[in-house]
Parts: sequence; C-alpha cells; structure tokens
Amino acid sequence: MKTLMLGAAAAAMLHITPTVVLVKRSEVVSRLLTGAERFTAREVHLSGADDRRLRDAAGWTPPDGLLTFYVRRHQSRVTGVLLFVRVDSPHGPMEVAVGFDGAGAIQGVEVTKATVETKPWVVEALRAGLTGSYRGLAVDAAPGGAATVKGRVGSMAVYMAELADKGVAHAGAAYRLFYRP
Amino acid sequence: MLYDLRRIDARVRWLVTLLLCTLGVSYAFGAWMVGLYAGFTPRSVAATYAEPVMTMRMPPETTVVVEHELAPSDMGIEEHRVDRALLVQDTHVHVPMYGVIATLLSVVALGLAIPRWAGFGLVTVLFAAPWLDFIGMWLTKLASPRFAVLTLAGGWAMGLGYMIVAVLAFWQMWRPEKGVRV
Repeated sequence: MKTLMLGAAAAAMLHITPTVVLVKRSEVVSRLLTGAERFTAREVHLSGADDRRLRDAAGWTPPDGLLTFYVRRHQSRVTGVLLFVRVDSPHGPMEVAVGFDGAGAIQGVEVTKATVETKPWVVEALRAGLTGSYRGLAVDAAPGGAATVKGRVGSMAVYMAELADKGVAHAGAAYRLFYRP
Repeated sequence: MLYDLRRIDARVRWLVTLLLCTLGVSYAFGAWMVGLYAGFTPRSVAATYAEPVMTMRMPPETTVVVEHELAPSDMGIEEHRVDRALLVQDTHVHVPMYGVIATLLSVVALGLAIPRWAGFGLVTVLFAAPWLDFIGMWLTKLASPRFAVLTLAGGWAMGLGYMIVAVLAFWQMWRPEKGVRV
C-alpha cells in the first residue's frame, strides 16, 4: 500500500498541467507584423543535412523538421518576419513568438503559451521586463532576458526567462540559417 | 472475491465512495479537455496526432520551401497538434498515472460481488483501455490516421470501465437491505 501511495504521489507530481494561451496568434500577428492585412506563411521542410546544421548551430531542431516563417511585405519589400518556437521543459511546453524587422533585428517577442503551472512564473518574468530586453537585438546576439530579470524575480521566473532566451536563440538561428528574403 | 465491499467497515466504503467520486470528476473534466483539444471523432483525433500532411516521413534530400497566403483571421484558428516529442512526453507522464488509476479501480472491482470471470474481464478492461488509448495515438502518428479509432475506443473503454465499477460499487455498498436500518 505504501508503494502504491508513493507511486500515485510521484505520478501526480510528474503530471504536466494543461496548456494556457497567454496571447492569441492573431493578436501576435497584429502586434509583430503591424498592419498586415495579408501575409505569407513560408514553410521550410528541412533536409537531413540542414536539420543537422541547425542542430549544430543551436542545439535544437523544430518538431517534424518544419520551420514556418510568417512574412509581411509592403510594396514587395519585406517589413517583418515572425516565427513561433516551442521550448519544452519538465514543467511543460512554452511557446514564444519572435518578430524580426526587415533588417533582421528582433522587433519584439511575446510568450504566447505556457501551462497552468508555469503561467504565474512567466507572468512574473514578463512584469519584470523580460520581453523588452530582446527588442533591437541582432539575430546572432545572445539573448539576455534571464540576466535582465535576475534578482528582481523568483528562481522559477528566472528559469522561465532562461527558456524564453532559449526560444529566442532558436528563432535567431533558424532565421539566420534558413530565412531568405 | 478477496474482500466484500457489501460487508466491509463503513469507513472503507466511505473511502471508496469518495475515491470514485473524485475519479468521476477527474474523468468528466478529462472528457471536457479531450473535447477541447482533440475531439471525439476519428477525423479530429487523427488531425491531432497524425504527422502533418506536408511533412515528409523521411527528411527530403534537399530543403523544400512551400509558401501560401494568409490573413490575420486565419491565425485565429489554432489546431492543437501533438508532435512526436510532445507525444513522448505525454506518454511518459500519463501512462504511470493511468496505471495507478486502473490499479485503484481494480482494487475496488476485487471487492465487488461478481462472477470470477467478470472480475477478470473488468480488470482487463481497466488496464487495456489506456493501452488502447496510447497505442492508438502512436499508430496514428507512425502508421496511419485510421488508427485514431483505437484511441477513441480506448477513451470510451476507460469511461465504460469506470462506470461499471462505480455503479456496481455504489449499488452494492449503499443499497438499503430489507429489515436492516441504515
């Protein structure tokens, strides 16, 4: 009976809580691809070699080898590119949306999904200015969101910021290696 | 019958009652969540777990780019898709919990006044249901979307197994007996 109870407790502790949408994708588009009435979804199906190239560069590859860039053009000139990246953790997945401007610098970052468990930590990190720290960052620069919020939030919020950093770095590597205007 | 729920101490019957009520609530919300994220039709379950149509099962020899036009309103429709990595995580965290729940319900089933073969059958259903559920998910992903029916069958079997145990247990534990003051 004791083993059974311990097993139940362990299983309950391991259980990942359901996903929570923090910002809808349609809202993210209106914020990060400002003014886009129509835009293009560019799906890049990575070859085995390119998949390895991305893994070597970023230590990550997208689910099912598929990268989707949402591209906004104005008078045939690219004015914005948006990418959604999921970062997995033992506490469940987090999704970040990373918007790049026409020149390739980060225009904005939104945390779009968390879980019931991680949402308070994510919100704490966001209130401490997590996403503001990414604005204007060059595509190959190391994101420093966690360093920005450290000391002002709890350890789990810092951990969430580290996950967001990871998502931004993954998006940056994907943009740098596979986005072609 | 290893023990008899009808004659066991009232405190144990109360424990079993609360356990079944708690599991019932969790099953109801589980069904609600399935409705929100995966749906109850083979097509919607297949859409959740099958590999995306555009994704090649093997990586292409060269990187392939496909473009299509969208409006912001198209982004409002978000399909919940479970990719391979998420399914690995889901399987890892759900299967132990399903095992614990099946064990608890089986322990209750062992105290029911039912024929021996029915006890075997009930315990089998309680454990087979989650297996069917996850085997269906994996086969839908790896083999064919047609296996989504297995996941649906597993889900319904879980509900059915719970209902049989709960109804029989409640009836046998709390049914007023003639001439006996409760």
